[in-house]
Amino acid sequence: MAIQTQTYFLNLGPQHPSTHGVFRVILELDGEVVVRAIPVPGYLHRGVEKLAEARTYTQVIPYTDRLDYLANMLMNWGYVEAVEKLMGIEVPERAQYIRVIVGELSRIASHLMAIGSYAGDIGGLTGFLYTFRDRERILDLFEMLTGSRMTVSYFRIGGVADDLPEGFIPLLQKFLADLPGLCDEYDGLITGNEIFQARTKFVGVIPPEKAINYSLSGPNLRGSGVNFDLRKNRPYGIYDRFDFEVPLGKNGDCFDRFVCRMKEMRQSARIIQQALDGLPEGPIQAKVPKVIKPPVGEAYTEIESSKGIFGCYVVSDGSNKPYRVHFRRPSFINLGCLAELCVGWKIADVIAILGSLDIVLGEVDC
Amino acid sequence: MFGKGLIKGLQITWREMLAQKVTVQYPDEQIPLPDRYHGRFELDADKCIACMLCANACPNKVIQIERTRVGKKQYLTKYVMRIEYCMFCGLCVESCNQDALRFSKVFNMNQYFRSRVRLTLADRPAPAEEPAEEAGSEQEAKKKAPAPKKPAGAGSEAAAGKS
Repeated sequence: MAIQTQTYFLNLGPQHPSTHGVFRVILELDGEVVVRAIPVPGYLHRGVEKLAEARTYTQVIPYTDRLDYLANMLMNWGYVEAVEKLMGIEVPERAQYIRVIVGELSRIASHLMAIGSYAGDIGGLTGFLYTFRDRERILDLFEMLTGSRMTVSYFRIGGVADDLPEGFIPLLQKFLADLPGLCDEYDGLITGNEIFQARTKFVGVIPPEKAINYSLSGPNLRGSGVNFDLRKNRPYGIYDRFDFEVPLGKNGDCFDRFVCRMKEMRQSARIIQQALDGLPEGPIQAKVPKVIKPPVGEAYTEIESSKGIFGCYVVSDGSNKPYRVHFRRPSFINLGCLAELCVGWKIADVIAILGSLDIVLGEVDC
Repeated sequence: MFGKGLIKGLQITWREMLAQKVTVQYPDEQIPLPDRYHGRFELDADKCIACMLCANACPNKVIQIERTRVGKKQYLTKYVMRIEYCMFCGLCVESCNQDALRFSKVFNMNQYFRSRVRLTLADRPAPAEEPAEEAGSEQEAKKKAPAPKKPAGAGSEAAAGKS
């Protein structure tokens, strides 16, 4: 660098559309180049973990919707899985299948949001509208199933709240049939776009070792080429029965993380199709006492959410309210590497890097 | 060739331009709502046995119930939902054994004043008769009961319609 100029600070956020919520990054800049980035989360902190201590086990479920509100079914799942482990409840087959169907739908909805908003971050707002148009179909399905579009509160300890309504499966089949075509459309519109590629390829590279050291998970980890997916490596629920691939990236740059999500949507559709084909009849709710009082003890479970590994830790003191609930939120942990990733890149690339990590502030701040 | 991707993207947008619209002109047209839609609550006060299950199921203590004992049974006198705290999770409706509490498809519940947000689903005097005349008084109460309830519901509906 020929000319050394005085560095200055620039506040990115908290109210900035490209930070995907209320998230602040303090950037120390040398001209346009980032010298230091200090992420400041916490603007959306609602104290869900503390609130859970004053609620009964079932009453916590609506709060988990509000963690990662883009993949709400998966958040429900992570929590009920922990309580079920604590109580030793066996979930009926049909409920398991329904969980997989809605969970994977949620994953697709979350990834649609991720790729759409990423296209918007890069400067192509058109892509955002396309993915939103199709995400709407998933939300309509959820509305039909649960009555709510986003805050579904659908999972219950020991099963699910309601059976699939009439007309749900044909609509879902139609969506699944359309999805590959829609993905091709996004590929043509966003992935194949040269400007998009120029903005994202070899930007914000995370080598595999660093990804592991930063404890990244989900598409961010797999984008770096590390083959780790809980659904494959440590199957929970009935994931061991499905045939699907885990898409991997090569370079670990923003583009690979993006492409991983694109490919994962197609795999999720495959899983849903298999689950629909194997959907058994039967009860959707295990026999659970009316007042849920798990035995004294603790349980920790992990599921593969759309953002990464979502863990839930529940401690019971034998009463009808959890003594302590803790959520391992993948978005928050994935965000850890942001400060290091941004250094040396220009301001516009900071937006590209942040977008590629796909954070949801409801989950980061909890 | 550089620019091939751009041309392909443009083709897609051109195709979309001629495709059918996915949005509707909202106030004039409305998308049909599913049966399970979580809209405003409805209470059939005559079915309600004031068992407090819904109030206890609520994560946010939204439901406030006042009841009195008439003969051997509990009698619901007031049912107020502090709807400003409601998450519309549906745990109350799920907990109701009597099918008294339900969701309706009314979704425009916005009000100009915070004080009007509160949803009074039942507000009725308890029949002051002795248990011997219970049957008669209950009949009377049933006739009377919807009377104070209706203006509240109609009022908020009208206000919702305006906004």
